[in-house]
Amino acid sequence: MTGFAVRRLGAALVTVLAAVTVSFILAHLAPGAPIVGDAERLRADPAVVARLQAQFGLDRPLPEQYARYVANAARGNLGESFVLHRSVSSLLAERLPNTLMLAGAAVAASFGLGLAVALLQARAAGTWLDGLLGTATLVFYSMPSFWLGLVLLIVFGQTLGWLPLGGMTAPGAPDDASAAARALDVLRHLVLPAATLALVQTAVVARYQRGALVDTLGEPYIRAARARGLAERVVLLRHALRASLAPAVTLAGTSVPALLAGSVLVETVFGWPGMGRLTHDAIQARDYNLIFGAALTAGVLVALGNLAADLATAALDPRHRK
Amino acid sequence: MDVAPLGPRSLDWRSVRQPSIALTLLALIACAGDAPHRGGTMVIATPGDADVLLPPVAHNQTASHVIERLFPKLADLTLALNTVDDSGFAPVLAERWARRDSLTIAFTLDGRARWQDGAPITADDVVFSLDVYRDTLTASPYAPSLEPVAAITAENPRTVVVRFRRVYPEQLYDVAYHLYVMPRHLLDSVPRARLASSAFARAPVGAGPWRFVRWTPGAEIVVEADSTWFRGRPNLDRLVWRVLPDVSTAVTALLGGEADALEVVLQRDDLERVATAPALRLVPYASPLMAGILFNVRRPPWNDRALRRAVAMAVDRETIVRNLFGPYGEVPIGSTSRMQWIAGAPARQLPFDTLAARAALDALGWRDANGDGIRERGGRPLRLALVVPTTSRARQQAAQLVQDQLRRVGVELRIQPLEFGVFDRRTAAGDFEAMFFSWTLDPSPVYLAHWWRSGAPDNRGGYASPTFDSLFADAAAAPTRAEALPRWQRVLEHLNDEAPGVFIYSPRNHAAVARRIDGVTIRPDSWLAMVASWRLAADARP
Repeated sequence: MTGFAVRRLGAALVTVLAAVTVSFILAHLAPGAPIVGDAERLRADPAVVARLQAQFGLDRPLPEQYARYVANAARGNLGESFVLHRSVSSLLAERLPNTLMLAGAAVAASFGLGLAVALLQARAAGTWLDGLLGTATLVFYSMPSFWLGLVLLIVFGQTLGWLPLGGMTAPGAPDDASAAARALDVLRHLVLPAATLALVQTAVVARYQRGALVDTLGEPYIRAARARGLAERVVLLRHALRASLAPAVTLAGTSVPALLAGSVLVETVFGWPGMGRLTHDAIQARDYNLIFGAALTAGVLVALGNLAADLATAALDPRHRK
Repeated sequence: MDVAPLGPRSLDWRSVRQPSIALTLLALIACAGDAPHRGGTMVIATPGDADVLLPPVAHNQTASHVIERLFPKLADLTLALNTVDDSGFAPVLAERWARRDSLTIAFTLDGRARWQDGAPITADDVVFSLDVYRDTLTASPYAPSLEPVAAITAENPRTVVVRFRRVYPEQLYDVAYHLYVMPRHLLDSVPRARLASSAFARAPVGAGPWRFVRWTPGAEIVVEADSTWFRGRPNLDRLVWRVLPDVSTAVTALLGGEADALEVVLQRDDLERVATAPALRLVPYASPLMAGILFNVRRPPWNDRALRRAVAMAVDRETIVRNLFGPYGEVPIGSTSRMQWIAGAPARQLPFDTLAARAALDALGWRDANGDGIRERGGRPLRLALVVPTTSRARQQAAQLVQDQLRRVGVELRIQPLEFGVFDRRTAAGDFEAMFFSWTLDPSPVYLAHWWRSGAPDNRGGYASPTFDSLFADAAAAPTRAEALPRWQRVLEHLNDEAPGVFIYSPRNHAAVARRIDGVTIRPDSWLAMVASWRLAADARP
């Protein structure tokens, strides 16, 4: 198991380096240049732009810029944002927890709900209920997340008035609010964006898990369990579900990129101050250091997700340890 | 006055800050008639976060709005937005000013002015501020606006003497409008190249009517009224800029009572949603924005004035504005918007006249010989490639309408949507045939030079006209508004005649403001300039 973990860790490092390299190449291949502020409102003096480019090393040859960036990143220095004038590390440290909170809540909700739907479908495989749930999950899967987010916002926020209308906290929260009040406030603001991300992901989980469960329920040991007179609930939850979890666990790890991509739109719609929005704004402004820092962080998250999925799968089934 | 409904959806910090609504009401009743209605928080929905909160290095709109609340100017424009002579300005940091000669203005600072850490504001702060703006290490994009200032000297702690390089009517405007005064004692030790990344730029100490409270990146910026401000405290207690990047979410937050104000509602459906909401109102104000098509006159055949005029006459701007904005937009009279005082002079324009356009194209030899609906000359079809940024829905829609209109006179318009960074880079490099611009104008008409004067750095279309340059210089030198107006009219008419661009639309700006906020006056160049006088409606809760 240790050797397996080391091999996977090596692969994870390669993934991270590849993410940074590809983003570096793509960012520089893309037309356009770093823009400071509102380019149609405020024109920077060309001399000032040239000085800023020199200050940030943008006047150096690309291979040199790349080598410097990788060397600095290896030492933990991700540079400074051209637009926000802050270290990229501090910006990411500020925003990443918010995105992790959002994505974590979405993963938990989508897997809880997805597994529940899959169990219902597998138990009623081939019936109208199976078809109905399959269609419902497909509908959510087909919905663009920004549109779904707006619909949820209008229905549950504006019309019903049950939940807040965007943001991460109520506006103008007093400095002396208690930790519990703040946590409750954040939780209430988390519901709609997390639900938006989760509903799309639920469909994926349910479809994967239903297929795996239906296959497993046809196995001889399941028939044997039923023949021994075990309750159907026990057969489903203790025997079939556990044996069929490997695809879902793999999916959990590989869903990180989809969640990160989805968070860009969801964070924009809900005004959630996370890494997705920060990255989106950085790309718009060609804020290279911030783009690379975000790519590096995303690469690490994706690699960690895959690594965790590999290790969990290997723990569930020793045949995967090779 | 209606009270904005506050549903159960959010913890309402505005209400829990008060010990008891009843006590507040009693206090209000007791105070009625004695003083303006004070207190309350106004939540402003804003599409983007600020970059930095330091005047010379802040670039975006949100930062500008917050900075304007925190840092004082020597004097500020009044609602008339008259930039030409001194009558258009009200004292702020300077209690008065006097012209010593045609190149020198002496400002006397108000002795009551203090930084919010208690230090007095002195002439040294003003001298220091100009130095910061103009230091190349600061890399301020506003430095060119202060180029006409030759020197600022501190004659004594309360007297600042500003000397200009040349005689011109907008001297006061340049030094008053573009220079925010900053605290020397807090910034002198910060290296100029590091000012933007300094701690001060994240948590500034100002001397304006509002005091910085906190900035939660990506989420909100909070300022509160400075009750000790020497010109009188603002009526509202707090302003909160809440970052809501999606405009639909921002409008939904307004409708749901979770935001009180939005600078401008642009989309027609959003305008109608706000207009019918009982707790909100639309506040119209002149827009500083003007959009249209700019020809690259360096490229044939668009260097042909007669061809440009023919194309301009084929564009039905009224129909475009009606389709895009309905009653919420207008056709500009030329290269200006209603915000600028020169828009008061009705300038002669090219008419919408497709017959005249067709005749002009025929006369120029552009004819549809092969019957495909597109004119040709010498085997070359009459095509115009128009670059449009993908970030602007209005410009993309307008481009499609222009495409349809030009096709009717035999001109093929090819629309090239470009990501904004690409659009900006290509147009700055002159790599385009025509661009759909959208300009945010300055209150001063002299700003037109950026786009039209021969060789100006932002003259992307390459327009060069000695006549224009001469008319412009004449208008910019007029000493009073009354004398300047007819000269600016000639400038606008010359541009209309030459048709280096087609000036298609200018929105009629509408801010959305909750009815719980009263006394709303908007200065068009900076919608929150008068926010210190906004107040809670008498029957609204804080």
